[in-house]
Amino acid sequence: MKDTCHQIPKQLVIRREKAQDCVVEKLGSISFTLAHRPKRVIQSSCVKQPLCHRGTTIFSRFSISSSIVSVADLVVPFPGETLSLRCGLIWCEALIKMVGGGVIQQILRRKLHSPSLATPVRSWFSSKTAHVDTGSSGVRAFALLGAGVTGLLSFSTVASADEAEHGLACPDYPWPHDGILSSYDHASIRRGHQVYQQVCASCHSMSLISYRDLVGVAYTEEEAKAMAAEIEVVDGPNDEGEMFTRPGKLSDRLPQPYANESAARFANGGAYPPDLSLITKARHNGQNYVFALLTGYRDPPAGISIREGLHYNPYFPGGAIAMPKMLNDEAVEYEDGVPATEAQMGKDVVSFLSWAAEPEMEERKLMGFKWIFLLSLALLQAAYYRRLKWSVLKSRKLVLDVVN
Amino acid sequence: MNLEKTDFNNTTSSVGLYFIVYSDRAEDEVVDPKKYLEESCKPKCVKPLLEYQACVKRIQGDDSGHKHCTGQYFDYWHCIDKCVAPKLFAKLK
Repeated sequence: MKDTCHQIPKQLVIRREKAQDCVVEKLGSISFTLAHRPKRVIQSSCVKQPLCHRGTTIFSRFSISSSIVSVADLVVPFPGETLSLRCGLIWCEALIKMVGGGVIQQILRRKLHSPSLATPVRSWFSSKTAHVDTGSSGVRAFALLGAGVTGLLSFSTVASADEAEHGLACPDYPWPHDGILSSYDHASIRRGHQVYQQVCASCHSMSLISYRDLVGVAYTEEEAKAMAAEIEVVDGPNDEGEMFTRPGKLSDRLPQPYANESAARFANGGAYPPDLSLITKARHNGQNYVFALLTGYRDPPAGISIREGLHYNPYFPGGAIAMPKMLNDEAVEYEDGVPATEAQMGKDVVSFLSWAAEPEMEERKLMGFKWIFLLSLALLQAAYYRRLKWSVLKSRKLVLDVVN
Repeated sequence: MNLEKTDFNNTTSSVGLYFIVYSDRAEDEVVDPKKYLEESCKPKCVKPLLEYQACVKRIQGDDSGHKHCTGQYFDYWHCIDKCVAPKLFAKLK
């Protein structure tokens, strides 16, 4: 008997067994039917226990929890729905599953522990079924009530504060570098760097970018060297132990407007102009957000007043931003003669900031395209090989042999 | 070169002012494509605009400071943004 256990027989013999106390659920409902018919059980010589008994215990627990109506699905997301509402619904759902599941599992346990009492069990069971049905509908009603209360409580606070708090949702602009194989517009990056240098660098640092990063992306090496040489950099102690200043080199970082955050806050009325090296990755939907913010300075809506020192911008969370409108038509004169409108400067500076945050984007896209293609070929090959190997087992034949 | 930080918050974007500026200057005066598209998208977003104007009228008498038209304002500008966004970059270099 042990030897046959280790080989998977090519043909399995199916034996008929007598009626077992198997509880069979109908999927999608919480009612039970008792299987009182003779049940076919697939039993090989290896299995000690009929699969029916063991399997349905596990199966019943799983199917009960999945067959209970999911409360969260009943409530269609409505405008203004918040995280707290969803959490409330999920909590209610978990509660129902616990309560409902506990009731039903208790019944199951009692059922399975008294296998010999077929007839009395059945009558007891039918009465229990009725109880379970009314109980489950009661549980369901409780769940819906709980969901409704949670929804009402959170809805009242949602509509008033949410809109300005989150800021106006920014639209999606069709960036030239958006496609799966699209590169940056490097002319735009060059113009964007010019805008940054002339408009933004007076307040915003970009301390993670070096001049050498610009070589080959926006400027030639000579141009970058010349740009770097315009700044003064404090360098390490000399032989006499003193710090000295020298003109910049390619390896130096872009200059910072303020020595530290406190100085920046002091110079800007308490607000800190954030470092822009990673800003398009540091904000949700960063590229579209930054463009919308820079070009979105408008008059505030009726009833909103912004205090002195702040400015209204609908895209900024809360609406009151410390930065004034910086992009104005003709603020910069582009080297390549492109008209420097507000939208043009916004697009260029966001292209520059996108590159600064993700300089590896072009290489990443090329690599991604190549490897996804190769791996899908490998997937096809692996699928074929798996099916080839498994075809032996999957084409087995089963013979039904009735034992009297 | 430091930009003069002029306060542009109170500039109106009404059609009349826009066209006066346009006709006063020489022909090489740049026209901001975003402003132009926002104006041209106004007819598409008349409904939220009227809602906003109705709201403004409603809260005109109010002095409590708690009433505001942010919702209608957002609806209007969201409509305009949706209209402008696909067309804007075609007008830029």
